[in-house]
Amino acid sequence: MDLLAHLDAYVATADEASFSRAADRLGIAQPLLSRRIKTLEDHFGGLLFDRSRRQITTTELGVLLLPYARDVLDRAQRLRQVAETAGRGRVRAVGVPAHCAPAALARAIRAGTERGVTLGVRELPPPERLSGLSDGSLAYALVRVPPEQGALRVPLGVATAPDTADLPLGGSRRVLHLEELRPRRARGGRPAAALPVLTLPEDHVPYHEDRLERAAARAGLPPGRFRPAGPAAAALAETLAGRALLLCAEPFARQNGADWLPLADRSLHRGYEVRAAPARCGTAAVPGWLAGLLASAVGATGHGAAGGAGGPRAGAAAADDVPVRLAARG
Amino acid sequence: MSAAVVYVGDDSALTDVAEAIAADWAALGVRGSFLARNLDTGEQLGFGVQELTPLASVAKVPLALVVLDRIAAGDLDPGHPVTLDPARTSVGPTGLAAFRHAATVAVGDLLLSMLSVSDNAAADALLDLVPVAEVDARLRAWGCGELRMRHRMNHMYECAAGAAGNDFSLALELAIRDDGTDRQTIETLDPACANSGSAAALVELLRRVWCDEISAPAATDELRRLMGLQVFTQRLASELRADTLRWSGKTGTFLHLRHEIGVVEAASGDRVAIAALSRTGRRAGVAADVDWAIGVAGRSAFEALRR
Repeated sequence: MDLLAHLDAYVATADEASFSRAADRLGIAQPLLSRRIKTLEDHFGGLLFDRSRRQITTTELGVLLLPYARDVLDRAQRLRQVAETAGRGRVRAVGVPAHCAPAALARAIRAGTERGVTLGVRELPPPERLSGLSDGSLAYALVRVPPEQGALRVPLGVATAPDTADLPLGGSRRVLHLEELRPRRARGGRPAAALPVLTLPEDHVPYHEDRLERAAARAGLPPGRFRPAGPAAAALAETLAGRALLLCAEPFARQNGADWLPLADRSLHRGYEVRAAPARCGTAAVPGWLAGLLASAVGATGHGAAGGAGGPRAGAAAADDVPVRLAARG
Repeated sequence: MSAAVVYVGDDSALTDVAEAIAADWAALGVRGSFLARNLDTGEQLGFGVQELTPLASVAKVPLALVVLDRIAAGDLDPGHPVTLDPARTSVGPTGLAAFRHAATVAVGDLLLSMLSVSDNAAADALLDLVPVAEVDARLRAWGCGELRMRHRMNHMYECAAGAAGNDFSLALELAIRDDGTDRQTIETLDPACANSGSAAALVELLRRVWCDEISAPAATDELRRLMGLQVFTQRLASELRADTLRWSGKTGTFLHLRHEIGVVEAASGDRVAIAALSRTGRRAGVAADVDWAIGVAGRSAFEALRR
């Protein structure tokens, strides 16, 4: 016997003092309602309703049991609510980099809702995304990893004001080599003042900064050419005003009307991996649907390791006769 | 390295030039010493001029002078043939050090190769004929100040490779890390163990060579001629190139060290000796802007000191 369904029929009939109105309220057929009440009367061993008159009335037993029946139904109702809050209602925080594509994030949130998972998106700098996973404040996060190790790679490039003369942005070339950022000797004599290259908090990751500094030195750039930017909006304003270059991903540059060229050296690009907070037992997996949507939100072009040169390249310079470089030179 | 840089300048205008050069260098992360002196008026400007620095290939200039002195004295024949076996020559990117087949070269031409293209093998072949100790003793006898010769050219490579195992980046990293400390992992970067000297001692040596006040005129004349044949122009020469100017110099490059010494002689008669000894924290083998900053320093000093 489904006790709750039978108690529902009992309480509705007592409230309405009518089998037909009670059946309407519950949305069931009247014979079914009558049968349930009969079954309940057999179960409790006594009549709950006096059917001898035109208007039915509740018997003494019916009045006595009514508050207890209501109590059972209320508690069952609360049990259902708590269960729902615990399951569907809990927000799972997802740590993402700043400047993700809002539409793609919305798709991820909606996809979660469809699966009974409430996602909450939190924009955080790289170190906090990592620590959030370990302290449990984040359920999932896009974590920075070297591009050749990560599943996702986001090309990092230089945003410039449209028509900046300082860079060889014209022509058919599609990438920027760091050597091209060396100060140019103007025809007048003094070199044109070299624009600083601003870096966003998303790129203030120790291994990345170290790589960038080494690559810049090897390309003949003076130290301090790359500088941490303040707030992104101010950095972008400096860039659009032609007073700086900004190291960022393509969507951020394009959305704001800046020109953009990717860095040719892919080891300087952003690498990501979608990670889940470690579960209490074993490792937690990231649902496939979430990983895919987060990849598109961050603007990943595909596998970091795929597509040719991943790690720092052993280029022509490194292939030099090594002993010679250690000797005294002219 | 002393914490405070001491500026030299015979009047406040010259001191200003020295300070501007030091500021330019500092902006590029370059430290070191600089001295320029007008050989005729004696006026000079610079900074850090007494600081002892490993000389790298700049040491080939005093070495050449000692060898030329022996030749002038008749102790050594400039035509004397020396055969170099490439399997046993010193490491280096230029000249006989880069040869892959045996070659026989006269002493006089070893000097040319050593000074024109900074040939390590030629320098060490000359040190086979005139040992290190003898060069050092000769310099002391001449009263060349802090100028010291303590090892062969290849010793620099041996120490760097010994510490870093043929990893140029690591050797550079060690050099930069140890810079300004008391302990040098690469021994030839320690001024107390290296062929070393100061800007003051080098400029004084150049003055005596150009004024025939050291060794014999035959030796100094040949040294001036050979220094005028240097092929490298990326440093002090870069801003002193004109038909009316003649630059005679010798560069020195080793890990984070970028040096050059030399004399600029103008058609107008002005003669200025310059020594630029620099170190940077740049993790790069080539730093064109540092080379150029040294060139800019040389030019502004020359223009401030000429009459």
